[in-house]
Amino acid sequence: MSIKEGNNANIKWIGVTSVLFGVLLLANHGNEILRQSVIAPGVAIESAADCRPDELEEENLSLRECQLMVSNVQIVLASSPSWFRSVSICLYLLGFVSALLSLVFGMRFVSSPNSAQRPLRASFVSLVAIDLLIFVAVSTTGPLLRSIYLWPNLLWLFIHLALLAAVLSYNSESAQEVN
Amino acid sequence: MSDKGGRSKVFFHWLIAISIFFLFLSSWWMLALPLPSENFTYRQLPFQLHKNIGITILAVTTYLLATRSFKVRRKSLSSITKPGRLRDRVHQSIYFLIALCCISGYLSSSYSGWGTTIWWVVDLPSWADESDSLNIFFSDLHLWSCWVLLSVIVGHIGVALYHAFRNDQDTDEMYRW
Repeated sequence: MSIKEGNNANIKWIGVTSVLFGVLLLANHGNEILRQSVIAPGVAIESAADCRPDELEEENLSLRECQLMVSNVQIVLASSPSWFRSVSICLYLLGFVSALLSLVFGMRFVSSPNSAQRPLRASFVSLVAIDLLIFVAVSTTGPLLRSIYLWPNLLWLFIHLALLAAVLSYNSESAQEVN
Repeated sequence: MSDKGGRSKVFFHWLIAISIFFLFLSSWWMLALPLPSENFTYRQLPFQLHKNIGITILAVTTYLLATRSFKVRRKSLSSITKPGRLRDRVHQSIYFLIALCCISGYLSSSYSGWGTTIWWVVDLPSWADESDSLNIFFSDLHLWSCWVLLSVIVGHIGVALYHAFRNDQDTDEMYRW
């Protein structure tokens, strides 16, 4: 059943939801690009954590937590294959651009669904493809990275799949009847 | 909305939205990075970026608030309906909370002894002496104002979605470029 057939369906939700998830995905991918840029191999990760009491009080941390923060970085570095960082940055950059497009065309879809349908569909196709590529890339690494990335990635995949299905099911002829 | 002012309002609204969510997400992550030392400098870039984006948001918010109050002053008070007045107050409180988060964050950073270079170009003058107690005070204020801001934003998004799904055209202007 297309959205057209649902009586009084408000197709605006597709655009609005695209914009909301576009904003969240931009923040997410922006953070991932930052994360990959900051945690670079070659830094002396075997050094002990520098946990000064005044810093611990300032950050409201226990000594154990402060020490484990180094392990947090060690986990990412030790479990990332050599190709992972560059591939991740590329994929997240592509995802960032696609998220921006889904936001822009989602906005346009609200006021002009007919002209925005095709570009919005294209941006969701690329987002689904990028999610799948990230999923494949992460699943070839070890359990430590998989535990960090796989589930959030799967959630994004389903969000984009649902929005893609909604855009595909939108029938442009219905817009004249509904709006 | 085809006027230039309307377009810039829409642009800045979404720019601030993306920036705020990025700041929340990145701050949760960067605060789990090792504390700064000779060996660990992981926090340098994220913290500097955090401050740069925060200061930029403050500048944009000030501009939006100024244009908004100019427009409200031009409107006669009698033409504003009761729901319109409520909406105005909620929006004003969001602007206030954004400004509070940014200012408290900047003050905390100033009293921490770490310098601020705006977008790696302009060094802001260091006007405050290092003070642990003031740093902790403004850091706590920053933390709590951010939690309140997040809860207000969640409510703001909920109401915006409600209007959009009802198709009552109340929020349509924010999607027109």
